[in-house]
Amino acid sequence: MKKLSENTTDLLQEIKTEAAELPQNKRRDFMLNGLKLTAGTALATAVGKVVAGQENLPPNVPTWQKSLGRGVVSVPYGQPSKHEANLIRRTVEWLTADKIASISMSPLHKMKGIITPSGLHFERYHGGVPEVNPDDHRIMINGMVDRPLLLTMDELMSFPSESHIHFLECPANGGMEWRGAQMEALQFTHGMLSGSEWTGVKLSTILQEAGIKPGAKWVLAEGADAAGMTRSIPLDKALDDTLVVFAQNGEMLRPEQGYPVRLFTPGWEGNTSVKWLRRLEVGDMPWAQREETSKYTDLLADGKARKHSFVQEVNSVITSPCPENPIKRRGLLQLEGLAWSGHGKVKRVDVSLDGGVSWQTARLKGLVLSKSLTRFGMEINWQGEPLLLQSRAVDETGYVQPTLSQLREVRGTNSIYHKNSIHTWQVQTDGAVNNVQLG
Amino acid sequence: MYNSVKNYFKILVLTLVAQGLFISTAYSEEAGHYGLGRIATQEEIAGWDIDVRPDGLGLPAGSGSVADGEGLYEGQCASCHGLFGEGEGRWPILAGGFDTLSEGRPEKTVGSYWPHASTLYDYIRRAMPFTAPQSLTADETYAITAYVLYLNEIVDEEFVLTKDNFSTIVMPNADGFFEDDRPDVRNPTCMKDCKDPSLIKVTSTIAGVTPTEHMEEGSSNVAEEAPINEHGKGVYNQSCAVCHNNGMAGAPITGDKEIWADRITPGMEAVIKRAINGYVGEDGAMPAKGGNMSLSDEDVAAAVHYMIEQSQ
Repeated sequence: MKKLSENTTDLLQEIKTEAAELPQNKRRDFMLNGLKLTAGTALATAVGKVVAGQENLPPNVPTWQKSLGRGVVSVPYGQPSKHEANLIRRTVEWLTADKIASISMSPLHKMKGIITPSGLHFERYHGGVPEVNPDDHRIMINGMVDRPLLLTMDELMSFPSESHIHFLECPANGGMEWRGAQMEALQFTHGMLSGSEWTGVKLSTILQEAGIKPGAKWVLAEGADAAGMTRSIPLDKALDDTLVVFAQNGEMLRPEQGYPVRLFTPGWEGNTSVKWLRRLEVGDMPWAQREETSKYTDLLADGKARKHSFVQEVNSVITSPCPENPIKRRGLLQLEGLAWSGHGKVKRVDVSLDGGVSWQTARLKGLVLSKSLTRFGMEINWQGEPLLLQSRAVDETGYVQPTLSQLREVRGTNSIYHKNSIHTWQVQTDGAVNNVQLG
Repeated sequence: MYNSVKNYFKILVLTLVAQGLFISTAYSEEAGHYGLGRIATQEEIAGWDIDVRPDGLGLPAGSGSVADGEGLYEGQCASCHGLFGEGEGRWPILAGGFDTLSEGRPEKTVGSYWPHASTLYDYIRRAMPFTAPQSLTADETYAITAYVLYLNEIVDEEFVLTKDNFSTIVMPNADGFFEDDRPDVRNPTCMKDCKDPSLIKVTSTIAGVTPTEHMEEGSSNVAEEAPINEHGKGVYNQSCAVCHNNGMAGAPITGDKEIWADRITPGMEAVIKRAINGYVGEDGAMPAKGGNMSLSDEDVAAAVHYMIEQSQ
């Protein structure tokens, strides 16, 4: 490099000599390019001494500005920057026997707004992700209907469709913490939660096309996966806001989310939104399937279990600060979190800095939609004092997010599912954040 | 000509008749509002509708004994669920756990928790064995169901389960469930002096049970890539990219596999020599060392390697 700046004149002379030997028609281009390159490198050298690690900081011109970037369709389906490699789904290996019937969590600590990128939506499989060929996929409607139907994907998508923004949450979200705090990251305490825009046909439209027989009360939804995942859905919900969804966030569903078609029951436990939907059966009683008896029932302290506990009651959590997002500096701090309710809109979120002794009402940020993730925030002035951060959401039915003590008092600690209690982050004097529970 | 016109009309009429017939079936007054889809045949429904309800609806004809179930279970189920239904590793425990539901660590098994025997038949039929779902016959499913009931002391070893006697099975925890009655808690929205701060007891996590490597100070946030020729990449970006990113002056574009496959035909040495000394031909002109004479021969060679690596 240095050598070049000292010898620029020589180099130019050299190029000139070489160029003289070129055929006439090449000479102009060659001179032009040679000179351009020389001018460019001479300029870069003129900047002077560069401190290691600061090559890209002012007054230096960053390296990415000194060469051309990649062109259009070099990546036909765009990917996040390689600098966001930590923004991924994660699992806790010991939770399940095998990755095929398991769960992964969304990186809530890094997510913005109320939409989860489809590739970061939490995963839950009972028999792995089937590779469904949409041309060979059929949706059967049978049971107590006038006309048992068989629909192709094209026929399904020819019904009138709607798009709605809703959260989807596994009812086991937070379920590892009934007996005590054990997950050391927000991704693991609350990450079985995502939000998307879902596009599909109202289930009522499809059931009416088949004709519902008198006496019908339930609908069985069945998946085309290796688990043949099934759930019984009350007809009231089926005819209310349940969708037969084929698209998520503007594109066809991802395989992990049920490609090419899934059920979607807004506000209800994720398991009822059966993926890879292949069959809907209308009947007059629930089918008592494995996933609604053995699993997804809530065992209480007295040994009795609550069944058909479909709705995800109001819940909230502070997403920053959190263990993954420690406080880095004193002064003004943007506290932020997510609230959601399966009963409708989030009406209010209160935040406590002192473990629930006193509360202040936070600001709801942006869209406040029914059965959707809702952002809240608050500005606090942190001067290195220890905090016990909590958030408490209230939904439009007036239901207030309970404390863990209140939940334990009525349910005990064996429920696994539907733990929607107020969560506590402990902020230490150095800004580190821990998951704790308050007694 | 006349014949072909006549045939055309004949086909047209036949087509119209066919369509008319089709319309009269699919768009009869019985058809749905949108007229989408077709009627599923009984055979199609029978192939897919495999669910079994607690009242026995959906059970296929057939039977299976505890004795037959034992062999099938040991071959198909025991590797995950254990010889006695005790569960291997974290795979589900199938048997035992009676009277544990109100204990600190309840064992929810088929015998202790499941309210209906139909669920067992249905689930084995649709999802088991885990690696080969829907591979068992109706009789095999009856036999394995009978054996799991036997492991839970719900039937004796002589028992033969059939479609007809299925409804006689009563599960121990049949009355253990109740319908959703939430909300079951009421939290008042207190705003000030809600509790005595001196009584707050903080309990932390048990350290080390969750993966947190990605949160540690200095952990890389950058995607790990296949090892690349960093030196060559640096030289390339500095001195070669301006032409080779976009094909200026006929330069072969880095990443264009076809062009590069052609360019490297004379061999690596020839390509590097050409890059160092320059080249002028019908397909373009390459200034010696890309016009950057401060580059050593090694620098140029590294850049050439990088470009070829990126173009394979």
